[in-house]
This record gives sequence, structure tokens and C-alpha cells, in this order.
Amino acid sequence: MELSSITTAAFVAGTVTLGAGTTMAGDVELFHDKGFWSEALQQVGDVAGELTGNRIIESAYAAPEQYKAFIQSSAASGDMPDMFTWWTGGIFEELVSSGQIGSLDAVWDELISSGDFDASLRDFYTVDGVAYGVPLHLSRWVALYNKAQFADAGISEPETWGDLMDAAEKLKAAGHTPFHATAQDGWRGFIWFQEIMIRTNPEAYKGLHDGSVAYDSDAVRNAFQIWSDWYANGYFSDPRSNEEAADFARGKGAIYLIGDWAIGLVEAAGMKAGDDFSAFIMPNQDPSLQSSAILEGGPIVLSKAALDKPDVVNALKFFVSVDGANAWAGASGNALGNNNAEPPNSVVAKINADVAAKGTIALNRWWEAVPAELQGEFVAEFNRFMLDPTMETAEKVMTTIQSLNADYWASQ
Amino acid sequence: MPEINDNIESDAELLQRVGWSGSGPEERHQRKRNFWVAFAFMSPAILLVSSVLLVPVGYNIYLSFTKWKKFKGLDEFAGFGNYERLSTNPFFTDAFYNTSIWVGASVLFPLILGLGLAVLVRGMLFESLFKDIIFIPRILAPTAVGVLWFYVYAPDGVVNRFLGLIAGREVDIGWLYQDNTVTPAIIVTFVWQTVGLVMVLILLGLNAIPKDPIEAAHMDGASRLQVFWYITLPLLLPTLLVVTILSVLAGFTVFDLLWVMGASYPGQRTLSLAVFQYFEAFQKGSWAFGSAIAVVLGIVVLTVTWTQAILQARVDRMIR
Repeated sequence: MELSSITTAAFVAGTVTLGAGTTMAGDVELFHDKGFWSEALQQVGDVAGELTGNRIIESAYAAPEQYKAFIQSSAASGDMPDMFTWWTGGIFEELVSSGQIGSLDAVWDELISSGDFDASLRDFYTVDGVAYGVPLHLSRWVALYNKAQFADAGISEPETWGDLMDAAEKLKAAGHTPFHATAQDGWRGFIWFQEIMIRTNPEAYKGLHDGSVAYDSDAVRNAFQIWSDWYANGYFSDPRSNEEAADFARGKGAIYLIGDWAIGLVEAAGMKAGDDFSAFIMPNQDPSLQSSAILEGGPIVLSKAALDKPDVVNALKFFVSVDGANAWAGASGNALGNNNAEPPNSVVAKINADVAAKGTIALNRWWEAVPAELQGEFVAEFNRFMLDPTMETAEKVMTTIQSLNADYWASQ
Repeated sequence: MPEINDNIESDAELLQRVGWSGSGPEERHQRKRNFWVAFAFMSPAILLVSSVLLVPVGYNIYLSFTKWKKFKGLDEFAGFGNYERLSTNPFFTDAFYNTSIWVGASVLFPLILGLGLAVLVRGMLFESLFKDIIFIPRILAPTAVGVLWFYVYAPDGVVNRFLGLIAGREVDIGWLYQDNTVTPAIIVTFVWQTVGLVMVLILLGLNAIPKDPIEAAHMDGASRLQVFWYITLPLLLPTLLVVTILSVLAGFTVFDLLWVMGASYPGQRTLSLAVFQYFEAFQKGSWAFGSAIAVVLGIVVLTVTWTQAILQARVDRMIR
């Protein structure tokens, strides 16, 4: 009798335990590689469950390489996950070429007709005229700045290139490091390269991505010269830091060029958006150039099979709805471009207003625009320059990158 | 006339004494039966090893001769195309060279240090406590060790501060960022983590050495150094060879430390063949090319360890 009771209790306890971790009917799994957003994604998923009956269960892969391998092998075996995140650019086109990703044209038609999204954003996720993704997040790459240090240096947001150089000198004179940049995690080397390129020669910047402009061209050499000069002037922080966002919060650099998704990280490090830091769009060297900002927008995609699953489609639609966007903004501090959603914080609201006022156009981030096969090797060379920012190193970097670049485009 | 030895054993008795029970039909049938019984007991292990090792390795070799389209799978047979591409890849040579350095260092330093610690610790007061302390790094996960030492080597980390105290000025060496310091720095971490295991293995070997020849040598007036050099070390040779084989394997396959500690180093992909293979296969999604790198690495490792195994067998015969 006693043994039977113990056995029954153990069975029930085991069932309950198992039940707590398993998905229920109507749940939809969202695969991604952004573990730092796991908690936030699950918060949105829980809200989705409450409001629509379709709870989103986030499922994270730790490293991007493992995640890519998972999706790649799923595609090769013809068994793609229903809903997962990806990247835009060449790697997005590669995914679409598998023929297993579903068209989201119908979803976009609804989003645009409702006024939730601008038609121009659809282009970001379009391949050969068909939209295959919706935004997981939409981040502009802006210059976050330390308000206290700006006040201390007696400067305001730079409107022109001259203002920017003047700001750098005044910050330096006040004992602050003007620009904050690191080689943390091995991928950040392209950030200032892309920014200087779009401020000096945006057409050449675009040409880099289709092989029409060489990485040892005059436009690129000019960008490296500016970059090297700024290092020589002492404008940059130590690139060897491994705590970039926290260092900005500690005041190790006055201007932090990064995607606005980092606002949450800076706030977690102790600064308050709007009070302690704000943001501006970097000015162009040539004032006649149109205002532009790098746009980064990782997509959520559905497999073709998932289009026939109403639960999955509903979950996707919720994520980009006003309720979903607000939940996401509150949980992660990220916007996803829904016009009718609340901006996640006052800094993003300010940037949105600046973009509208200046007619700022969006340019594709370098990371997505460069062929996926070349990303790692190129960014390693940019990091190499940051660690030894002389023109001698720059020449070697340009030569190495162009050699790989030329080989790649010759093989296409 | 020489004495006839009445004790000469018969051929059958002689064969039986050396383990050959005979070659009659009954004996042959028995041997066959024994073989199949042994095979039956081994078959679960054979199945396991085949499915999780031999099949994947075989498929990897096959893949290395193909073109693999991302997201579409196997495309077509490529012959030796991946290997030709490897031979002209600028990063492969650097990765191969750095791997050689790693193998050399992973054998030499833990062995010398481990042997020294084993001799030092053996028989001393609180031997067990010292052994445990030295062994602790070995039980830490390599990734955790990598993260810990990443901060130890940080520009404002423990190493630079310690050197600054000695030098009397600020020391700002980017240990994990410079070409000439990154590999030695990570090797120091590797040795720190592995020396405990090497020490323990050598201690086991030392404890297995018979005491008689050592006592006899002491009685004959040999010094401690002479005893160590002429008796202990030769008898320890089999253990040292086993340690060497394990160290060589560890050197060829080191990845975690290089991945974590070399994350911000621009030339990370050339730190070793294993890291280079990971970059090509998983970061770039070139599975067929990555397979070719794995095959080359496998051939190199097999060649080196096979050579060592032959050496080991010769030493074992010599000792007996």
C-alpha cells in the first residue's frame, strides 16, 4: 500500500514536471541565436499567448555558427523550423534560394494597408520581388553620446562635419575621449569603417557590396586615412576593451557609434536614456549629401510549410502588431518599425523625429551587405587596423581584403 | 659423447607451454567458437563505435570530395577540388604552422613541468593536498578557464599589473591582441590547466617502478641524480610515452581556449587547424571544404600518433 502510494506520487510529480516544460496546443516555437534576448522574447511570447491564444516559445542557440549549421542542415533535410530569425543581405538571399521559405507578401499587404508599416521597409526583406521576412527588430546605427561630457566640453550635437571635428577637439581638451570603439567579440571592426565610408562617399560604400568598387580604391584609402588620423589625434578609446557598453556608461568614450538596440545594454550598465545619454545621426563630410543612417533589421521568417499553419501565421502577425511591438519594446528596448507602436525609449523617439525632419535615408549595414563568405575575414582585418591604426597597417589590410574580394567576385 | 637430456619435452608439450594448444580439427573448431563468442560480446561496442565514429568519419571523408551548396545540400562530386583549394588558401599554412607550435608546446612544457612537480611532490609532507591543488585547474571547463584567463591577460588585468609592480611603471601589453604574444599566452593557460593531469599520470608511473633496482643502486653508491637518470627515467619511459601521446592529441585538437581567448585577435582563424576548420565549416557554411580540412587534420594526427604507438611498442619490448 505504502509503496503503491509512493509510486503514484512519483508518477504524478514526474508528469507535472514534464508537463511544465512541454509545449501546449497552439504554442509556436521561435528559433533564434540571440540568447541575450531570450527573456525578452519569452515575455513577448507570453503576451502573445494571453492575447491570441498562440504562445510563442523562444528557443535559443548559443552561437551564431551553431545556429546557422542547424538551419543549414534543416534546409538540406527538407525539414525547416516553422518560425525562426535570420539576417538580411546576401545570407538572406542564400536562405531564400533553398526554396523552403514562405512568401510573406500577404502579411506585408495587411501591415502596409493598416498603416502599421511603411512600404519602403518591405524592400528590406524582399528578394526578387517577393517579401520573405518581417522585422524582428529595426535598429538605426546612431551616435549615442554622453550628455554630461558634452556639457563639460561646452558642445552640443554636431550638425556638420566641422562641428564633429570641433566637438572631438573640445572633448579631448576637457579630458574626455571623443569616440568609443572596441574590437570586442571580433565582429565590431567594420563599424567605424562603414560610418566613415557613408559620410564621405556613400556611392563607393554601396559599390563595395557588389564588387564594383575595390577595397584598395581611393575612396576606401581616404576612409582609412581619416580613421588613422583620428587615432593619431587621440580621438578613440582603447579598442582592447571587452565591455564596450559598460565602458561607455563608465565614461570611457563620449560618442558611441552603435545600433540603437544597444540602448538597453547601456541602460543595464547604469545610464538612463534621455537623461544621461541621447543620440544624433552623424553628419556627412559633404553637406550636399543626403542624410543617411545605417539600418539593421534582422528578420523573422516562416518556412513554406508554416504558411499552412494558422497558429504560426497568427503568432508572426502578433509579433509585428502594435501590441506585439509594444511588448517587444518594453521587454527589450527594441523597436521593430511599427509606426503605431510606442518608441521603446526617448532616445529612439528622438531619432525617429530626426529621421523624419532630415529625410534620412536608410543604408544597408556592411555586415549584411558584404557576401557572407567574406564577412569574417574582412572584419578580422578591420580589427587588425584598429589594434595598429597606422596607414602602413591600413595598406596591408586593404591589400589582404581586396585579394580575397577579387577572388570572390571572380568566382561568381 | 654429450649427455642426452631425458627432459626434452615433446613438440605438443612445447607448443602447449607457449600457448599454442595445437592445430588439430578439435582445436581449430574451439578457436573459431571462441572467436565468435568474443565477437558477440564485443558487438554492442562495435555497433556503437561504428555508428558514432566510423560512419560520421566515413561520411566526412566522402563529403570532402564533393561540392556542398548551402541550404540545398549535396551538389556534385568535386574530386580533389577542396584539397587543391586548401593548398592555395593563405590561412591554411599559418594555421598548420601554429598547430605545429601548439603540438610541440603541449608536449614539452606539461611534460617537463609535470615531471618536475611529480618528483617534487612525491613523498613530501601533505603530498595529497598539493596534488589536489595542482589538479584543480584540470577539472575546470576549458571555456571557463578561457574566460578567466581572458581577463587575467586583459590590458588592465592581473598579468600587466604584476609586471607593472616589478617594472615600477605601467605595463600595457595586449597579450591576446598581438601576433607575437597571443600563442605563447594561450599556451601558458593550457599548461596551467593540463600540468595537473600530467603530474598525476607520472606519479602513477613512478609508483609502479620496482624499488629493488633503486635500492641496489643506492647501495652501490649511486647519487640521487644518477639513480634518476639511469634507472628511474628509463623505467618511466612507457608512462612518459603515454603522456606524450595524450599531449599530442590535446595539442592537435585544442579549440576551446583558442576560441574564447582569441576572440578579439584578428588572426584567430589561423591559431590552429581546428579553429580554421570551424571557421570554414560553420562560420562560412562551407561544409565540404571544412570536411577536407578535417580529413587533413585527421591524417596528420593519425600519422603522428601511429609513429608514437610504434615507438611505444618498441620501448615496452625493451623494458621487458
